[in-house]
Amino acid sequence: MHAFRRVNYLFIHIKVNEMIAYEGASSKLKGNVAKKPVILEIVKEDVLRILCEKRKKTSLETIKDEIKVVHGLISEALEELETDGLITIQENLILLTGLGKESAKNILRKHSVLENYFEKTESKIEAHTAAHILEHYVSREVINNIKKLSTLKKEGVPLTKFELNKEGMITDITFSDYGLFERIVSMGIFLGEKIIVTNEISHGIVVKIRNKKFALDRDIAEEIKAMEYEKL
Amino acid sequence: MKNFKILLVGQPNVGKSSLLNALVGPRVTVSNYPGTTVEITKAKKSFNQIEIEFVDTPGIYSISDRSEEEKVTEKALFEEEVDGVIVIADATSLERSLYMALQILEAQVPTVLALNFVEDAEEKGIKIDCEKLKEVLHIPVVPMNPLTKKGIDKLVDSVLKIKKISKRAFTLEYDDHIESAIHKISSQIKETSMPSRFVAIRILEEDEDFYEFLKNERTITEVIESLEEHPRVAENIAITRYGTASFVAAKVTRIIPLEKEKKLQEEIDRVLLHKIWGSLTTGLFLLAIFGILLYLGNLTQGVLTSLTESLLSSLTTAEHSILTMVLVNGLTGIALGVSIALPYVFLFYLLLGLLEDIGLLSRFTVNAELFLKKLGLPGKSFIPLALGLGCTAPATRATRVLSSEKEQFHTASLFAFVPCSSRIAIIMGIVGFYGGTKLALSVFATSFAAGLIWAFGIKKAIPIKSEPLLLELPPYRKPLIKNVFAKSWIRMKDFVYIVIPLLALGGIAYGILDMSGLTHIVVEPLSPITTWLGLPTATIIPIIFGFLQKDLTGAMLLSVLGSDISLALNALQIYTFGVATTIGIPCMIALGMLIKEFGYKRAVALTITSIVYGLLFAGLAWRIISIV
Repeated sequence: MHAFRRVNYLFIHIKVNEMIAYEGASSKLKGNVAKKPVILEIVKEDVLRILCEKRKKTSLETIKDEIKVVHGLISEALEELETDGLITIQENLILLTGLGKESAKNILRKHSVLENYFEKTESKIEAHTAAHILEHYVSREVINNIKKLSTLKKEGVPLTKFELNKEGMITDITFSDYGLFERIVSMGIFLGEKIIVTNEISHGIVVKIRNKKFALDRDIAEEIKAMEYEKL
Repeated sequence: MKNFKILLVGQPNVGKSSLLNALVGPRVTVSNYPGTTVEITKAKKSFNQIEIEFVDTPGIYSISDRSEEEKVTEKALFEEEVDGVIVIADATSLERSLYMALQILEAQVPTVLALNFVEDAEEKGIKIDCEKLKEVLHIPVVPMNPLTKKGIDKLVDSVLKIKKISKRAFTLEYDDHIESAIHKISSQIKETSMPSRFVAIRILEEDEDFYEFLKNERTITEVIESLEEHPRVAENIAITRYGTASFVAAKVTRIIPLEKEKKLQEEIDRVLLHKIWGSLTTGLFLLAIFGILLYLGNLTQGVLTSLTESLLSSLTTAEHSILTMVLVNGLTGIALGVSIALPYVFLFYLLLGLLEDIGLLSRFTVNAELFLKKLGLPGKSFIPLALGLGCTAPATRATRVLSSEKEQFHTASLFAFVPCSSRIAIIMGIVGFYGGTKLALSVFATSFAAGLIWAFGIKKAIPIKSEPLLLELPPYRKPLIKNVFAKSWIRMKDFVYIVIPLLALGGIAYGILDMSGLTHIVVEPLSPITTWLGLPTATIIPIIFGFLQKDLTGAMLLSVLGSDISLALNALQIYTFGVATTIGIPCMIALGMLIKEFGYKRAVALTITSIVYGLLFAGLAWRIISIV
């Protein structure tokens, strides 16, 4: 379960960061500063998801209760969704169109993958919240990775046992010394990163992460775990 | 006129010194940061009635680690009363640069982000939206290239407006449990110039240096107890910070997948980082460099010596007064200094700078690690040790690249066995000239063996927990010659301003001693040494007084034994003399440098021990050889 926790944090940071974006942007909107298309997109996706979950005509009030952002932003999102032909609005009640249903289903699918993943380590409510926030930002590729990670039975293998020139993903960093851990992370050797062991040197290995090369002592490489993409 | 103080912060090889060069030109001053051995470079220039002092800090990845370089940057950030920071970011790995930028923003210092290697990134299919990044972080983001000076004016403009940048441009928020811990701790912080949130985070990151800012140290135990369910708070902080950095980077980066990556770099690394070929090519490269230096060194030394000799002969024909003696010896010293400085020191630094900027040096360091680790030293000590082949004094200073003082001192102690150019001159000029090349090579071999025994001995006696290899290997790049020259000059300043005057002084000191007949006073009382070495008693003069100025050793030997040494000494004696004068901290200039770096006690102890060890070793060596 150890590896799960760590990988989990990788996604929690996204959660934390997004909350800032959410609040930051909405407070900005209060001050009538420029629009934030990103936030609007989030709200739009949220509206679609809620409508799909409720499976019936939903009142504006319900949506306002569920999405905790300024109301102006919700109205704006609804307006855009209507022009895009994803919803219809009849007397304060909102309904998904055929097109709307399709894109809402996509969002829900992402949502359930994320929720399943988070349930492994967090309480159900927390998992639900995390999934809510993440679903907007995570690409299909990452979703697939999470799917794989959440069904992962074994932990990754130490880099010292990693095959040369095979692509893998860092699944765990297990230093007991925080100083070393922080140094490794600040150099860009991070959970979820793609890694290739390019050379074996007499006392360690050379790895490539995002165009950067590092020479690592065997003792250090031992504490970084990764999994081959093929096995993920 | 207003004054600004701006810190340049960035990772190693991100182009900090090139940026400083582009901002102010090569007129920089290098100094130690007070109380440390880490160097910082400063330079001033006026822009629109505002004088900006730029302070270049050592290359680091983060300000929360505990290495000396990181502490210096952190200290400079808070104790130098800086007006702002330029974070130099690498466009080819933005998330990593943002990690440190976020830390500096956490410290609430006005920041400008200078984005370097934009062209490199585009070649790799990475495109960064600077406007978007600016919006997210609320700080100026300026793409620039210090080599072509593109974007430099814009960067200066942003720096001039640095007072307008909010100190709280971007606040990184952590998980709820961490936030509440930060809150608890920051309410218990004494008054400091640092923001309390920043101090609290550093305390949570287990940086004990920050505990002193707590009103009550009990707070930390209380907070830790309250965090029982989350035992890895420090790690989570780093992860959140990096996660945010990579998240922000991902938001502003567009990656266009490329058909083919550049393969040449990989091909070179296949050889240079190969288990066997790597060490072999490194060895060959070093031999080649050594050969080039020796050849060019001999050439320039020959020309310079004949030049000074003709100049000096006109002086020596004059009456032998103290004044002419002082003049002659002083000038000889300066001439010697120049003839070492030009070929050995400057050329060496030039080659070193080239290797560094091309990206080869880090590969050599990795390969040298294998051998040096066995001696209890980190791979990085390869740089000062190689420099020691030029001159011990600047090489002593170069031990600063090592992270712990123990490692620095251990490396410096090996200078007793790495023959500097003056000692090489004795081996080649005296031993080789009068005893043949084979004999000269056996002196090198003996010195090497003595060094190995010494290093193993130290490793056994004082085990140093050396840092494990963790080194970024920069991509191979075309070096900018102007930069290499500037860097070499900064590195050899010590030699010009300290070593050359001391060489002249050493010469003069010996001249006075010689004229007053004082040199001969030591011959009798020190005769046990020459007996142990199996040498004529008079040879003690070059052995002892060579310490004043190593290059005089040959001349002194000639003056005490007559012009044909092979008549006075047999081959074995020439060998013994060579070993006795080669092993040990070579001269008072090196001693002076050691004192500067490590203090009187340790420097003097090392010098005496190494010289005694060298004499013992030389005596033992000839006894063993004569038995065999």
